[in-house]
Amino acid sequence: MTSPVSTPCPSRREFLAFGGALTGLAAVGASAGWAQNQPQVDASTVNGTDHTTDVLVIGGGMAGLFAAVKAHDAGARVLMVSKGRLGASGLTPFAKGFFVFDPTKETLSIDEFTEQVNRSALGTNNPVFTRQLAEHALDRARDLKDWGFFDQTLCHRAFLKPMADRKIPVMERVMITHLIKHDDQIAGAAGFRLDGEEIVVCRAKSVILCTGAGGFKPSGFPVCDLTHDGSIMAYKIGARITGKEWNDGHSTRAVNPAACYDNWGDMFDRVPGTNGVEVHHDLGVDANYVAYQTGNPLPGGPPGVLADGRIGGGPTTPAEFERRAPEDGDAGPPPLGGGRGGPPGAGKGGAPGPMDAPQMGGASAGMSIHKSEGLVPIDDRGASTVPGLYAAGDALGSHMSGGIYTQIGSSLAGSAVQGAIAGAAAADLAMSTKLTVIPDTQLTSIREEILAPLRREAGYGPAWVTQVLQGIMIPNFVLYIKKDSMLRAALAYVEELRDHHLPMLRAADMHELRLAVETSNMVLSAEMKLRASLMRTESRCSHYRLDYPETDDANWRAWINIYQGADGSMQLAKQPFDAWPESA
Amino acid sequence: MTIKSINGCIGCGECVKSCPCDVIRLDPSTGKAVIAYPADCQICHLCRMYCPVDAIEISPDKTIPVIVAWG
Amino acid sequence: MKPDLGTRLVTAAIMLLLATTFVCYAIGDAPRRSLLKETLSLLTLSSFALVLGQFHLTRCNPVVEGQIQPRRLQWLHKAIAYGALSVLLLHPVLIVLPRYFEAGVRPQDAFITMLTTFDNLGTVLGLAAWVVMIALGLTSLFRLRLMKHFALRYRTWRYIHAGLASGFVGLALWHAIDIGRHTDLVMSGLFIVLAVTGIGLLARRYHGELPRHAPTPQGAKT
Repeated sequence: MTSPVSTPCPSRREFLAFGGALTGLAAVGASAGWAQNQPQVDASTVNGTDHTTDVLVIGGGMAGLFAAVKAHDAGARVLMVSKGRLGASGLTPFAKGFFVFDPTKETLSIDEFTEQVNRSALGTNNPVFTRQLAEHALDRARDLKDWGFFDQTLCHRAFLKPMADRKIPVMERVMITHLIKHDDQIAGAAGFRLDGEEIVVCRAKSVILCTGAGGFKPSGFPVCDLTHDGSIMAYKIGARITGKEWNDGHSTRAVNPAACYDNWGDMFDRVPGTNGVEVHHDLGVDANYVAYQTGNPLPGGPPGVLADGRIGGGPTTPAEFERRAPEDGDAGPPPLGGGRGGPPGAGKGGAPGPMDAPQMGGASAGMSIHKSEGLVPIDDRGASTVPGLYAAGDALGSHMSGGIYTQIGSSLAGSAVQGAIAGAAAADLAMSTKLTVIPDTQLTSIREEILAPLRREAGYGPAWVTQVLQGIMIPNFVLYIKKDSMLRAALAYVEELRDHHLPMLRAADMHELRLAVETSNMVLSAEMKLRASLMRTESRCSHYRLDYPETDDANWRAWINIYQGADGSMQLAKQPFDAWPESA
Repeated sequence: MTIKSINGCIGCGECVKSCPCDVIRLDPSTGKAVIAYPADCQICHLCRMYCPVDAIEISPDKTIPVIVAWG
Repeated sequence: MKPDLGTRLVTAAIMLLLATTFVCYAIGDAPRRSLLKETLSLLTLSSFALVLGQFHLTRCNPVVEGQIQPRRLQWLHKAIAYGALSVLLLHPVLIVLPRYFEAGVRPQDAFITMLTTFDNLGTVLGLAAWVVMIALGLTSLFRLRLMKHFALRYRTWRYIHAGLASGFVGLALWHAIDIGRHTDLVMSGLFIVLAVTGIGLLARRYHGELPRHAPTPQGAKT
């Protein structure tokens, strides 16, 4: 076991500025930077297990649950693998709002709803997925109701019910690190067990990534276990990735900024519920702009209060969706995962205190808008550009909401809807294809790649590399208030980490091995975010360029897709809004 | 500290499984939960909420420097 | 009726026992929680301390014997037993009860998880102690009927009662020290001292009652 970072922490204030962060890194570096590796695990004695199934579901959140259940119900053999626990990892445990479009209660039609979202999203949403959400959310809510999801705070038991009823096997605490492709077809996945010294290989006819999105292990948002694992694995076997330039703009409280639970008021304690149509244009990045222009401290408050014209310029909200000042008795901002709900801590009915507490930015740093970043879909069933590979929920770049939070509660509901659809699609494919045989040589090299950090005699601690990355990426003048010079400067740092540090990440045990993989995924995700942000020379929704503050409809009614070129380099290409990829 | 203390642990392992960030492990010698990797705690309280005997106490402080977007 | 000196002495002793338990609790390092949880903790600790005190609240104790009327002593012994054992009987439920009033795992789910955790000695000991406690309670409640049915002599029944009580206290103490929230060094010390001295008094008394062997003639060396 490596010793956790235990250097005496200088005061929090010292770390709030970029320079402070670097000071901290220097202090931390002594114990967690480059050092001899003292492995607790002997890589040469690590065992292996081999599993075979029709449909492999990776991830045990809302999307994974429905993917597994609906793939099973469509007749396929299903295996679920999760880095954490079913219903207790990723963002699912913290999302309490579930959007439903109930035609008997809504005053507008699904067509009108889709158009309204499209106006708020300034065209960035894919209306096929927006409509799909509205059409299916009510049915998924009914499924969840049957399983007891709306009866309790925690969702593991409720999720376990349909899985156990169907006897779908679940492997928890197994981190998948590699997707396996052979003969241009998905063949399975491989990873390792956190609790045992064991390499796990899963052979499958189709694979559904329900791995969520991710961040840079930021402070104040419960996303530290998500590091874009699915997207990066998929990118490495040829999938296209989209939506990296958008920014989730959640802030946290200035006091104890890392305390997610405390800063979200009573939200983590709540029992999930449903809500109807309520379309917004919740920026989040606007607070970063105010802080950038006026400095600290930044007052707390509901969404929109910062954009009252106190300072000029900055990210803009379409007039139709500007928020009025909240009145007493307002229900409070929407729940996490349902859209940007304003400052954390603003609980239902107004939680005491935190609503007006001073705010700090970057709580969800490294995460785009829900459903906007991830694998580029080639159809409405979540298929990716790799045959047999599907994605759903936050791992799928469906742009269901667009590059901005529009419909409240849509994130959780969208994961359920997309998971169910991808599950059925992956099962259909699995029924009509044969299992691809993976050559032993390919498995051997994957095994060696997984174990490499345990074998290094010396190298860089993943915790240290992660902190360096946070220092580079999280400051608001890099990630949120973007301009060419800073994006290029940050990219130079990130390329250095990619080329020099990632090949030398060390791990002493299975926990640190997980951190090493996560760090590696975060660095590549950072590179994607920087390159996409550099390429989009306009401002739109949650992407704000100080040097290109206007929306450029002539050139930028397009999403950015990222893929690996033949030489291994990162390539970027435009895909026009409302169009499917050309390769489809 | 993040997770501050574990008192009255019965060794059921619920917290180990429900921690998204793999902070807690069972001590092989005592069979009880220990805070193995405090630096990785995201202060989400899932371990506390899943604990059947309410053994876990959590503080809002992080053990490592916190990097935010502005200061 | 004005309480006699013995009753006042015994009442003072019980108060002292409870006060000592409260002090051990107060200087302990277990984090403070909600009012409900702390009340339940104190109730449980007090109950267990009183159960340990039962060994001292018998005729085995030379300090008590002769100071207080046997009937009054028996009444006190019974009252404390029914009160404290009721709390300990509900102890598994009281552990999960506060979950009804807060977010998190549902109390019924917590209860099942708790009672099916056999990997750790602590819960197994607790369950065993609980079962022995039930036996202790039932045999006491139906003492007369049992004695009649099995034609037991009072002394035999007393051996059964003392055996069950010692077994229960042994298991419960081990359980408490192994997984108790408040059983740090001081609290454990208090409980161990109470248990050891109590069972010691019992052993002394019973040992004294054993029929003595007649001296064995040694015979002369030849």
